[in-house]
Amino acid sequence: MKGKSKNQSFFSFKRATVVALTALLMVTLNKSFADNSVGSGTLPEGIWIAKKINERDEGISVYRTLKMQMIDHNGKIRERLTNGYRKYFGKEKRTVLFYKSPRNVKGTGFLTIDYPEAEKEDDQWIYLPAMRKVRRISAAARGDYFMGTDFTYDEIKNETKVDISDYTRVTLREEILDGNPAVDCYVVESTPVSNEVAKEIGFSKMLSWVDKDIWMIRKSIYWDLNGNLLKTIRMDDIRKIQGIWTTHKMRVENHKSNHKTVFTFDNVDYGVVVDNSVFNKNTLKRGL
Amino acid sequence: MSNYWHSILEKIFLTVTAFPRLMILIGIAVIIATGSFIPGITKDTSAESFLSPDEPTLIYRNKIKEQFGLKDPMVIAVFRESATGVFNPDTLQLVSWLTDEVAAMPGIDPETITSLATEDNIVASDDGMLIESFFDHHPLSLDEVDSIRENVMDLPLYVGNLVAKDASATLIIAEVIDEKNADDIYEGLMRLVDRAPINAGETIHVAGPGAVSGYLSSYIDKDAMVLFPVTGVLVTLVIFLAYLSWRFVMLSTLILLGTVAVALGTMVGMGVPFYVISNALPVALVAIAVADSIHIMGQYYQEQEKNPAATQQRLVVDTMLNMWRPVTFTSLTTIAGFLGIYFSSLMPPMEAIGLYCAIGVAAALFYSLFVFPAGLMILQPRRKRASTKLSENNSAGSDWMSRRLASLGIFVARKSALILGVAASFTVLAVGAALFLKVDEAWISNFKEKEPIYIADTAINAKMDGTYYLDIVVEAPEIDGLLEPSALENIALLQEFLESSANIQGSTSIVDYIKQMNKSINGGDESAYVIPNNSDLIAQYFLLYSASGSPTEFNDKVDYDYRVAVVRANLNTGYYSDNKEVVEKIKRYITTEFESNSELKATMSGQVTVNNEWISELAASHFQGLALALFAIWVIASVSFRSTVAGLYTVLPVGLSVLLVYAVMAMSGIWLGVGTSMFAAIAVGVGVDFGIHIVDRLKILLQDQQLSFEQAFLKLFSHTGRALFFNFVALFLGFGALMVSEVPPLNRFGILVAVAVLTSFVAAMLIIPAMAKVFRPKFLSAEEKPKKLVATDA
Repeated sequence: MKGKSKNQSFFSFKRATVVALTALLMVTLNKSFADNSVGSGTLPEGIWIAKKINERDEGISVYRTLKMQMIDHNGKIRERLTNGYRKYFGKEKRTVLFYKSPRNVKGTGFLTIDYPEAEKEDDQWIYLPAMRKVRRISAAARGDYFMGTDFTYDEIKNETKVDISDYTRVTLREEILDGNPAVDCYVVESTPVSNEVAKEIGFSKMLSWVDKDIWMIRKSIYWDLNGNLLKTIRMDDIRKIQGIWTTHKMRVENHKSNHKTVFTFDNVDYGVVVDNSVFNKNTLKRGL
Repeated sequence: MSNYWHSILEKIFLTVTAFPRLMILIGIAVIIATGSFIPGITKDTSAESFLSPDEPTLIYRNKIKEQFGLKDPMVIAVFRESATGVFNPDTLQLVSWLTDEVAAMPGIDPETITSLATEDNIVASDDGMLIESFFDHHPLSLDEVDSIRENVMDLPLYVGNLVAKDASATLIIAEVIDEKNADDIYEGLMRLVDRAPINAGETIHVAGPGAVSGYLSSYIDKDAMVLFPVTGVLVTLVIFLAYLSWRFVMLSTLILLGTVAVALGTMVGMGVPFYVISNALPVALVAIAVADSIHIMGQYYQEQEKNPAATQQRLVVDTMLNMWRPVTFTSLTTIAGFLGIYFSSLMPPMEAIGLYCAIGVAAALFYSLFVFPAGLMILQPRRKRASTKLSENNSAGSDWMSRRLASLGIFVARKSALILGVAASFTVLAVGAALFLKVDEAWISNFKEKEPIYIADTAINAKMDGTYYLDIVVEAPEIDGLLEPSALENIALLQEFLESSANIQGSTSIVDYIKQMNKSINGGDESAYVIPNNSDLIAQYFLLYSASGSPTEFNDKVDYDYRVAVVRANLNTGYYSDNKEVVEKIKRYITTEFESNSELKATMSGQVTVNNEWISELAASHFQGLALALFAIWVIASVSFRSTVAGLYTVLPVGLSVLLVYAVMAMSGIWLGVGTSMFAAIAVGVGVDFGIHIVDRLKILLQDQQLSFEQAFLKLFSHTGRALFFNFVALFLGFGALMVSEVPPLNRFGILVAVAVLTSFVAAMLIIPAMAKVFRPKFLSAEEKPKKLVATDA
């Protein structure tokens, strides 16, 4: 997973939820022997690193604003400002997002409910202010792109976590990743466990640079199903907010289409008290 | 020629013949030096290669392609003959199989594949809109297939584009990552089709603009493998038969190698690629380059017979002093013909043929004047048979061919008026027929009808909306201008107009998506298949669509600012003649209806528009090239003979030959197109050689030697006529060899030049002497003989 943006995970779907749940279960079950997962060499095993990533706290609820910048291959920029909440209701996750600008989409709202039950379809609603109506829309597939960005729903759903059972992981090396500041990382190669999984998520291989100190992925490179270089995601401006490490800038570049997306988060608040009625389709009209 | 020039030339030829081995070494060194560039040859078989990179319509189209990320796709079509067409469990499974296999092919961008297996259904639900796959499992039940058919055929966006209107065919469309690999990918797709699990009644075709250039690349290689040996054998046969001398064959081969090496080596050295029609270049050069040596050799044997006791050097020098002028001037006129193509053509492949053939002919001239005589010094060929010796009494060569030609000469002398009358009648008829000459072109005509790509193109265009695109780029004055309902209504009206035009089977723009989304969000109500009257709602629809769409989803239809959009019309024919009226009609609509009713600006682009533009200029550039070539050779002939009337006599036969070829084209349905438009300038440049040799010899016979017409014609036909005949046969067979090419434009080009060469040979042999006798022009009369000229006795 690469999406660290907590407020991003507004959308998901059934299979993804199953995977997330499995991951969570495995993390819980395996916690007791996580400490002896260090491999025979000097490098820890990939699975151990994945578990360390998933142990990170990401809060029960969060509020934040998000500036989305989509840049096409001609360099033209489409910019949208949003704000929204995410909250766990036990194992059920609800997310709501409202567009603030540009003017012609202002007030458009999205509500997503990810049910923990595998058999239950996720719900997704949209409020179109120009119609003054709330409409139900179909849940997206894992590999679908999220809201015209270069992130997939899978990446957005996982936030700063990773899927445990979908990949085989190998730790390749340790490396100092350039940046401000430069960080000491493990480089982990992840390969989907089957062709079916690869087709669902839309790539055949991923290299991740995992920060050894805070167990967050700093950079990921993807290859498509034919082995062509697909995209690179970078996480920057990582700061502690209310005790939780939080990414404030995510950049992704698609190497085939030359399309880019930049997410900038602000006003992150994990202590916010959210009225549960915010996550109701009938209140989407009201906005925030 | 003044004595001064005569002595200079004599000194030159004496030097050349004094150091024959050095001259031969120089000749071989030039071949090695220039030939060493040839292995670095590159190819460009793209359709765009026919357009000058400076062509404004091409520049605009490339800009639009770049801006909207438009690529030339590979298209795989699945046909199924049955009542339900492709909508049956087996065929849909085949579509899924092909889609997966194509996606896994190296070089294909798996994310850009469009097929029934990848596309989504936009449907209304009770309280909203669902976007979901048409099918995601196999095998499908008959009920499921029925419902898929209903869903697909209810979406105007897909009908005609993805599935045939009668459901008999469906497409799998894929983009290649790097278009340079198109040939490998096309081959890969063809292998995939071979191993596809096809059911009874199903056929698969591969086509699409992306497939074509890849296909052509290997196509011209295979073509060259047949074409070059056939030409080589034919021309060698002719040069052997001309004098039955292997020594002559060796010397001629050296000239041919020099000509081709210099032309191709310079071309490659200048970084010019090998184009689809470039196979014509070596073939044309080989046929042309041999002519000079045939004439020089003929003269050499005459000198031998006249002065059997002369030294070898004297023989060769006298031969060259007699022949340098016709050889040089015929080469100059041929160069003028090729340069006519170079200067008038708008297309890089034709420019390349014009320029590098001209360079090749110049090389042939160099080899004929300086290397060939050196070769004669070393090899010292001798005529073997006494029977070919000239008879002093009748002045005719006494071999069979010379005797026949001599009789023809006497016939011409006696029936001059009749010959001119027949020629005049032919001319009138030819002018009448030539008026029906048609200008046309279509890339598909580059292939024979039996080729898989031709069959695929025909089948797909018969069933689908068409693989030929005409784009109209619509620009609003401000950002978000194309979210305004009024602007979108104008685009909808434009599409309505387009779809009512001939050959346009369908069109696509953002308007189709907006209407479909409006219908779906309104519960699938047919009456909601309209543009909503609210620009905010339209913006929100796009946001809604992007909920699970790729960031580049509408890239090929509208820009990020919603200010510039592409309306794409699909045509089912690529023929210029089919589409020129449509293009003109759309042009008028845009200026009179569209732009006057809105603030929008519209510009036509796309393959159909670009082709229309340059093909409409093809006729003009053809006639300009022809006029240029005719004028240049008239000037050269006039200078050569110091008489403008002599120039006219020389040019007349080729003028007639071109006219006759137009008539042949009009009557046999051959149109003036890319390949064929080159014929005229080449035919003029090459064909005029006959006229030059005849006028040159007539001047000597009538003016210098003051023979009677009958005596002069007899000598003319039996000596010059014999050399001209073999010159003609080499050209006729050389260009005729293009008939074995697999590229139809080269077949047509070859046959047209062959017909033109035949006509100009016959016309020069018959009409020039007949006119000389009937009109008795001053430039041939003994009284007009310029005092400064010295007799160059034959």
